[in-house]
Amino acid sequence: MKRRQFLRAAALGTSGLLLCFRAEGDAGAVELAPAVSAALGDYLRVAPDGTVFFRLVKHEMGQGIATALAQIVCEELCASWEAVRIELGHADLVRFQDADHGGYDTGGSASVAGQYALMRKVGASARQMLEQAAAAAWRVPLEECRAEDHWVVHRGTSRRLSFGQLAGAASQLPVPGRVRLKAERSFVLIGQPKPSKLSPDIVVGRLKYGIDQQLPGMLYAVIERCPVFRGRLSRFDASLASKVPGVRHVFSTRPIAGPRTAGFPHDIREGVAVVADSFWAAQRARKALKIEWDEGKNASHDSEDFERWARERAAERSDPTGYVGDPNAVADVAVVRRTLRASYVYPHQLHSCMEPLNCTAHVREDACEVWCGSQAPNHIVWELEKLLGLPAAAIRVHLMPSGGGFGRRYYPDFAVEAAYVSKQAGGRPVKMLWTREDDQLVNMAHHYQHMEYQAALDQSGRLHAWYEKEIRSYTWGATHADPELPPMAYAIPNIRYDFEDMVRDELIQSCAWRGVVEHGKALGECFIDEVAAAVGADPYQYRLSLLRPGRVVQGRWAPISSDRLRAVLALAAEKAGWGKPLGAGQGRGIALFPYGGTCAAAVACVTVSGRKLRIDRLTLAVDCGRVINPSGATNQLAGGLVWSLTALLHGGLPIRGGRAVRSNFHENELLGMAECPAIDVHLLPGRGRPPSGIGEVSSPLGVPAVLNAIYAATGKRIRTIPVTESALA
Amino acid sequence: MVQIRLDVNGQTRALEVDDPETPLLWVLRDGLGLTGTKYGCGVARCGACTVHVGGQAVRSCVVAVSSVEGQPITTIEGLSPAGEHPLQRAWLDLDVAQCGYCQAGQIMTAAVLLQRRPEPSDEEITQAMSRNLCRCGTYPRIRDAIRKAASMKRGAAP
Repeated sequence: MKRRQFLRAAALGTSGLLLCFRAEGDAGAVELAPAVSAALGDYLRVAPDGTVFFRLVKHEMGQGIATALAQIVCEELCASWEAVRIELGHADLVRFQDADHGGYDTGGSASVAGQYALMRKVGASARQMLEQAAAAAWRVPLEECRAEDHWVVHRGTSRRLSFGQLAGAASQLPVPGRVRLKAERSFVLIGQPKPSKLSPDIVVGRLKYGIDQQLPGMLYAVIERCPVFRGRLSRFDASLASKVPGVRHVFSTRPIAGPRTAGFPHDIREGVAVVADSFWAAQRARKALKIEWDEGKNASHDSEDFERWARERAAERSDPTGYVGDPNAVADVAVVRRTLRASYVYPHQLHSCMEPLNCTAHVREDACEVWCGSQAPNHIVWELEKLLGLPAAAIRVHLMPSGGGFGRRYYPDFAVEAAYVSKQAGGRPVKMLWTREDDQLVNMAHHYQHMEYQAALDQSGRLHAWYEKEIRSYTWGATHADPELPPMAYAIPNIRYDFEDMVRDELIQSCAWRGVVEHGKALGECFIDEVAAAVGADPYQYRLSLLRPGRVVQGRWAPISSDRLRAVLALAAEKAGWGKPLGAGQGRGIALFPYGGTCAAAVACVTVSGRKLRIDRLTLAVDCGRVINPSGATNQLAGGLVWSLTALLHGGLPIRGGRAVRSNFHENELLGMAECPAIDVHLLPGRGRPPSGIGEVSSPLGVPAVLNAIYAATGKRIRTIPVTESALA
Repeated sequence: MVQIRLDVNGQTRALEVDDPETPLLWVLRDGLGLTGTKYGCGVARCGACTVHVGGQAVRSCVVAVSSVEGQPITTIEGLSPAGEHPLQRAWLDLDVAQCGYCQAGQIMTAAVLLQRRPEPSDEEITQAMSRNLCRCGTYPRIRDAIRKAASMKRGAAP
C-alpha cells in the first residue's frame, strides 16, 4: 500500500468518518477493493465503511471455494459475513506462488483442504491486529479487547470500535507471527450453509467471466485448428477470407504449436487465426479459408483402432508396477480354485465446460495483460515469459471466475494462443474465442482407460488374489518409478497392479478431467461386484467383509481407513434402503471410493424396462472431515454425480479418420434435467478432522454404482460406457 | 454497415452491424455490452443465450438481429435489475448456482414458464427446462427454486 493511501486510511480510521455501508447487492461480489482501504496482511483489505475484501488466490469455477475460503477467514476474523466481498485482482506470483501460500494452482480437490489452516491464520492475524489497534486506542490491555461480529469490544466498559474505524490503525501494525485460533467447537460460521457469495451477481447477469471481458479497441479472433491431432498445416489461402468486411489479419499459428510441458504435457494444434472487428466477422472469414493439412498418421485411424490396440496391450504380459504379497498369486495353482476375468473401459470424455475456452490478451512492447478464467495463472505467466521474452513482472494475468474448469482450464494453451494472436495483430487487444465446435472437435479430453481385471478364489471361495492392469492413454508426465497401487482398502492378501501407457498411439490429446485418473480405477467397484456374484454374496455385505475394522492402509495421498469406508458404505446403504424390496425391472448398485483423504459411497437405484434405462435415484454418503459449507458441499457432491451421468449415458469420443465426429451438443449430448435422478447427499459429521476435499470424490462413483444397479435389475454385466440400448437388450 | 434499432430492456438502442444476419446474441453482448446473456453452443441446444422477445423465450444465438427490430427484448439484466423477481430470490434462497454460467438462461426460461403456468407440475417444469443445459449439475435445485418461486408468486397475489 502506498504511503499516501496508508495515511489517508489511518486518518479516516481515527476520525471515525465514512461509516457509509453499501447496501447488499449494490457492489459486485467480485471486485477490487477501493484505493482507500487498509491492508491487513496479504489477503485482506478493509474499507473505511467496514467492507472486508478477501483476496481469492485459487480459481473459482463453480466449486464454491470463493465462499468456503471466505467463510474460514471470516470465522477467525470475527467479521460480519454480510460485509465480506471476494476480490480477484491479478496473479501476483511473487507474493502467493510459494509453499507458504499454496500458490495459484487449483485442482485435485485440494483448495479448501490445502488452505484451511492458512485461511484460519489469515483471519486470526487480522483479528489480532484489529484488537491490538483497539487496545492501543483505548490504552487498555489486549486481553480485554475482543473482536465480535465486525466490532472490537472492550470487556468491562462495553466501549466498541468497528472494523472500519480500526482498520487504518491496525494496518500499521506488523502481521503477528503467532496467532490464537478459535476452538473449533466455537465455530459459528464454518459449518453453516451460506449461499454462494457470487450468486447475487449471477442471478442478475452481472458476474463477469473471461468471455465477457471488453476493452476499448478490442478485436476478436478465432483459430481454425488442424482437425487431426498432431497434423500439420501445409498451406492456406486467405484471399476470400480477407474480403469479409471487418477482417483485419489472417495468419498461421504454427510458431506456438507442438508439444508443451507447462502444467502437464500437452500439445497446441497448428492452425490459422482470423482476427476481425467482431466475432461474427471472424467466424464468417474462417469459413471462407482454404486450408490444406498434412494430417499425419493419426488420419488413418478410428477410435476402434485405438480400442483394439488397448485390448492387445491389456492381454500382453507386463511387469508389475506395484504389488502386495505375491505378484503371481492369481496363477498359484496350489491355492487357486477359480478365477474370474473381465475387461472394463472408460473412454475419452470431453469437458464441455459451459463457458467455451477463451482468453483476452493485450501484448505491448514491454508488457502483456491477459484476462481469462484459469486454474493455473502461474503457468500462463511462465509460458508467456517464454513466448514474449518478457519478465514475469511485466505479465499481468487478470483473474476471473470461469463457467467451469473441470481440469481443462488448468492448461495455459488458450492464453498462449491469445497472446500470440494479439502480438501478431500489432499489439491490439484481442479476445480469442473457441467456438463450441472447436471445443468438441479439436480439444483435449479425459484419457482413455482400459482396465483388465482378474480375481482368484481359493477353495473356500475366499478372494486370494486381485490383479489389475490399467492401460491408459496418458502418463501425466510422471514416470512410474514408485509402485503405484490402486486405492485398495479391501483386505485381499495379494494385490498386483500393472500399468502401461499409450501416449505414442494417442489419437487425441489426453488431459486432466474432473476425477483425473480415478474413473477407470473406480471400475474395480464393478469387478468386485462380479466377485460377489460369483460367490453368491450380497454386494454390500461382501464389501463389508473385505473391510476389516481398524485396518488402515496407505493410499497414494492419504491413509485409507477401513472404518471410515465402512461408515460411508453403511450410511449410503441405509439411506438408500438397501435390501428393501424393489419392483419389477428395478435394481440397486453400490460403489465405494476414496479420493485423497475423503471417502464416499454411492447407491444407485435404476429401472430397466425393455431397452430403456431410467436412473431413479442416487444416494451418496461422504466423509470429508469438517464440512465448511454444507450447502456448497452438497451442490458439489451432487453435481459430481450428474457429471458422471453424461459420460454414462452420452459420453465417449468417436474418432473417424483421426477426426472427432461429434461437433456440438446435438451430437454430444449433455445430461439434461429430464434424465437427472433425485440425488440425496449425506455428510458424516467429520468433526475432529480438517476438511479433506469434495470436488472429485463423487464423480468416479456414478458409473460403477449404475452399472452395478443395471446388473441387479437385469443380470446383464455392462463393462463399457456409454450404456447403449443394444447393451440393455 | 446496416443501421439497427433495438428495443432492449425498455430502452431504444441504435447501432450499426456489418451483417444483418448477425445473431442477436453477439449484438447484445458485444454491441450493447449486455454480457449477462451467454454463448454456450451457438446452435440453440444449451439455452445459455435465452432472452425474451415479445414475451417469448428465444435462443438468441440463432435469431438474426434484423428479425427482432421493433420487438421488445428483455435480457437477464432487464428481468429485474435489483434481483427482485421471485425466481432470482428463490435462486438465492436455495443456493442454486455453482459456476453460474448457464443460470441466466435457466432463469429466463423459467420466467416464461411461470408466466404461462403459475403452478407448474413437475412434468411441466421438466418439459420447459430440459433443454437448458448445466454442466455443474444444478438441476435438482433449479427444480426446487422454480417451485419456490411459484409459491412466492402465489403468496404475493392479492
